[in-house]
Amino acid sequence: MTVLLEMKERIKLIYSKYEAFIVPVFKFLLAFITFSTLNSRMGYMTRIDDMRIMLIAALTCSFLPVGLMVLMAAVFSLMHMYALSMEVALVGLCMYLIMYLLFFRFSPKDSLVVVLTPLLFSMKIPYVVPIAVGLLCGPASIVSVGCGIAVFYLLRMVIDSAPNIRTMEESEILEKVRFMVEGILGNKAMLVMIAAFVVTVLVVYLIRRMSVDYSWTIAMVTGAMINVVLLLIGDLMYDVNLSMGSVLLGSLLALVVAKVIEFFRFCVDYSRTEKVQFEDDEYYYYVKAVPKMTVSVPTKTVKRINSQRDRMAESEPRSRNPRQPKRDVERVGSRRGNARTGAQYRNGGARSGRVAVGNVESQEEPDIDVEDYEEWP
Amino acid sequence: MLSEERIILMTRMASYEQGEGRENVKIGNYFRSDYIALHVLKAIVCSIISFGILFGLYMLCNFEDFLENLYKMDLLAFAKDVLTYLVAMVGGYTVLIYIVSTWRYAMAKKSLKCYYHNLKKLNSFYHDGQ
Repeated sequence: MTVLLEMKERIKLIYSKYEAFIVPVFKFLLAFITFSTLNSRMGYMTRIDDMRIMLIAALTCSFLPVGLMVLMAAVFSLMHMYALSMEVALVGLCMYLIMYLLFFRFSPKDSLVVVLTPLLFSMKIPYVVPIAVGLLCGPASIVSVGCGIAVFYLLRMVIDSAPNIRTMEESEILEKVRFMVEGILGNKAMLVMIAAFVVTVLVVYLIRRMSVDYSWTIAMVTGAMINVVLLLIGDLMYDVNLSMGSVLLGSLLALVVAKVIEFFRFCVDYSRTEKVQFEDDEYYYYVKAVPKMTVSVPTKTVKRINSQRDRMAESEPRSRNPRQPKRDVERVGSRRGNARTGAQYRNGGARSGRVAVGNVESQEEPDIDVEDYEEWP
Repeated sequence: MLSEERIILMTRMASYEQGEGRENVKIGNYFRSDYIALHVLKAIVCSIISFGILFGLYMLCNFEDFLENLYKMDLLAFAKDVLTYLVAMVGGYTVLIYIVSTWRYAMAKKSLKCYYHNLKKLNSFYHDGQ
């Protein structure tokens, strides 16, 4: 566990140090994967199914807010729909507009969820979404999850019905619109998924906020079980042809991902929980304090001890006390290096370059050989 | 002389200002009634546009039936039904937005209260230091 905690601290340190580079790189990768998935699945408009266009779009997204990534992905999908049929693009545009006007205002900061949900659905691991959202976000995020699911099923319906739409005549405008609208409204699998995921997000959120030990673990396990049960019930009631094997495996994977999230976000030591009670003029306070599991990150300090002659040559112009030993120490990170070095010499540290790593100090090959050391005054 | 407590407080406040605090400060600049009224107004406009889109799609899907029954159907009753749906949708959505914006304003004010308290505390640190 200590090793894992040290690794976590290291990752946090690296992230805080290079955040300015890491965030755009992740955004770029996410945007590129999203656009390439869209192009590979739909790909009706050959003009935008081009690596250069995807790279330019992904690079643009890497420096812009995530909300614009959602907009760009919507534009990509609409262009593909337009290449398939104008009526399909019209229905898609209407759906996007309704989602934007009515739903996005509830959780405008959850754009990432809207992008990730269809992406994870297309990767066949959607069951991570409700548990992760319940653990990390608020109850308003159910709107984003619902929108993400609706977008995925819209795109899937377009892909599945593309051969039928192509066979329709150009003049059958109303038929195409009706076909699309009925396809969306009559999609029972979408409704079952939205209902199951919304309930799961709420259950996970409510349980992980409870003041019980291991609330996060209880929340994720309960959430996964409820999700499976709801999907089973939905499958039985509406015959949506869900593969139970993939649901179970996906839920197990979701639990693993949720555990990783818990480790990074809520790593506490319940064995050291403290319960205190106190009062002031107005209230009684019953406080439960659970300490976080943390370890200090090992720091590496390298002290270089230069040879006497080199330093003497450098310090020749300076006036020196003749009684002072004819050597000096170049020190790193210590304002009182001379005094400490004396102690180090006594311990034999002067004979070796000392590398201190956290609490453990290891000896390396000596840089110099000190023969004429004298005790400092 | 560096005060560790003061530095911690300043760091926390700076982090708040750059994160969720930015949004809360924006909300805090409004009076409660102005903030809620603005959001309710936006909700009314958005829901009317959304209803227009939905109605347009409905009409496109049922255009042939509508034309066939145009002379048989009671157009006034149809218009009344449409208006009822419009009012129900706009009303329901507006009430929802009213509740959400009231809650958001209350949360933002609560958060800002804590922020201003910290600001005062920081100010007192400086006075004590002098």
